[in-house]
Amino acid sequence: MTNGSIDNLIEDLAGELKPVRPRRLMRGSLWVAGGWLVGAAALLWLAGPRHDLADGAMMPPLPLLAFWLIVALGFAAAWSALRMGLPGVGRDYSGWRWAGLAALALPFSAVVMALSDSHAAMDAAHPENGMHCLAQGVFAGLGVGAALFAWLKGGAPTSPTRAGWVIGIAAGAAGATIVALHCASNDMIHLALWHGLAVALSGVIGRALLAPLLRW
Amino acid sequence: MSIDEPSLARLMVASQRGDRAAYRALLNDSRQWLARYFARRIAPHHIDDLVQETLVSMHRKLATWDDGRPFLPWLAAIARYRWIDMLRRQRDEVELGEGDAAVGAEDEVVHARLSLDRMLLLLPTGQAQAITLVKIEGASIAEASQICGQSESLVKVNIHRGLKKLAQLIESE
Repeated sequence: MTNGSIDNLIEDLAGELKPVRPRRLMRGSLWVAGGWLVGAAALLWLAGPRHDLADGAMMPPLPLLAFWLIVALGFAAAWSALRMGLPGVGRDYSGWRWAGLAALALPFSAVVMALSDSHAAMDAAHPENGMHCLAQGVFAGLGVGAALFAWLKGGAPTSPTRAGWVIGIAAGAAGATIVALHCASNDMIHLALWHGLAVALSGVIGRALLAPLLRW
Repeated sequence: MSIDEPSLARLMVASQRGDRAAYRALLNDSRQWLARYFARRIAPHHIDDLVQETLVSMHRKLATWDDGRPFLPWLAAIARYRWIDMLRRQRDEVELGEGDAAVGAEDEVVHARLSLDRMLLLLPTGQAQAITLVKIEGASIAEASQICGQSESLVKVNIHRGLKKLAQLIESE
C-alpha cells in the first residue's frame, strides 16, 4: 500500500459520507426495556403470573432479596453491554462483574442451606422440579438478548468475546426476573439452582453463539 | 498541522452531520495519528495496511462516537481492535502453514523490535523467540527452527500461541 492509495481511500470515504445519527445509550436502554417487556408479556401470557402475587401477597424476604440481586445483575450487565457498543480506550466495562460477585451470594446461601437439609436439597435439585424454570428463564430473556445483540451489532464492541458473555448474562438475568413473576417457589435452593442456572446457561450461549457474530 | 483533541472533536461533529470537507480533514489528521500509533506497535510493512483498515472501520462505525466523549480514545479503541484483528489473522496464517514476508530495511526491523519488546517480554521465551524470528525478522519456519533449536511444528505452535496471547494482552490493556 502506498500513500497514494491512502489518499484515494480518503477521497472515496469522504465522497460516500452521509449524515449519521449518533448512537445514544438512552436509545439502547429503551430497546432493552422493550425486550424485557416483550419477554415478560410472552412468558406471562403463555404460563401465567404466580398466584400468590396475583392475589396481592408479597414475596417472602429471602426470595425477594434473591429477586433484587438478579435484577441488579441484569441492570449492570445490560448497562455494560450497552456501553461496549460505544468504544473508547480507558473506558471501564467491568461493572457487571461486581454485581455478578454479589449475586454469587445466592448459590453460596443455597449450598449452606443444602448442607443443613440434604433431603430438601435433593428434592429441589431434581430436574422435574426445575427444568421448566431453566427453559422459561432462557426463553424469557430472548427479548433482552435480541435487543442487546442488535445494539452491539450496530455498535463497535472491541472485545466480542466479552460482549457475548455479557449479553448472555444480561439476557439470562432478565429471564430469571421474569420467571420470578411466574414461578411460585420460595425455596432458595430452587431459586439459586434453576433460576441461577438460566443466567449461567444464557451466558454460555451468548459466548458461544453471539461472540463470532459480533466481530466487525 | 497540530492534531489536537478539540479540533478533531469539532471535525467529527461536523462529519457526523455530513460535512465532507470536515470529514476529509478529519481522515487526514486521523491517518497521521494512526501512523504514529501503529509505528510503536507493529512491523513497518504492516502500517499502511492497518491505517487503511482502521480508516474504513472508522467510516463504518461513525455513529458510535458520542460527542460527549473525547475523540482520540474512540479512534484508539478502533485502531486497537484492528491491530488485534491483524494479530489474529497472522495467527491463522501460521495455522495454515503460510510463511510471512520478510521485513524491509534493517533500521525498520530494529524499530519494530523496539516497539514490540515490551509485549514480547510478557510471553514465554519459546513463543517470543519464534515470533521474533518469523514475524519480525522475516525468517522462514525452517530457518527459525534451525536458529532456535525448536522443531518446525513447535515453531508454528509457539507462534500461534504467542500471537493469541498477545491479542489477549492487548485486548485486556
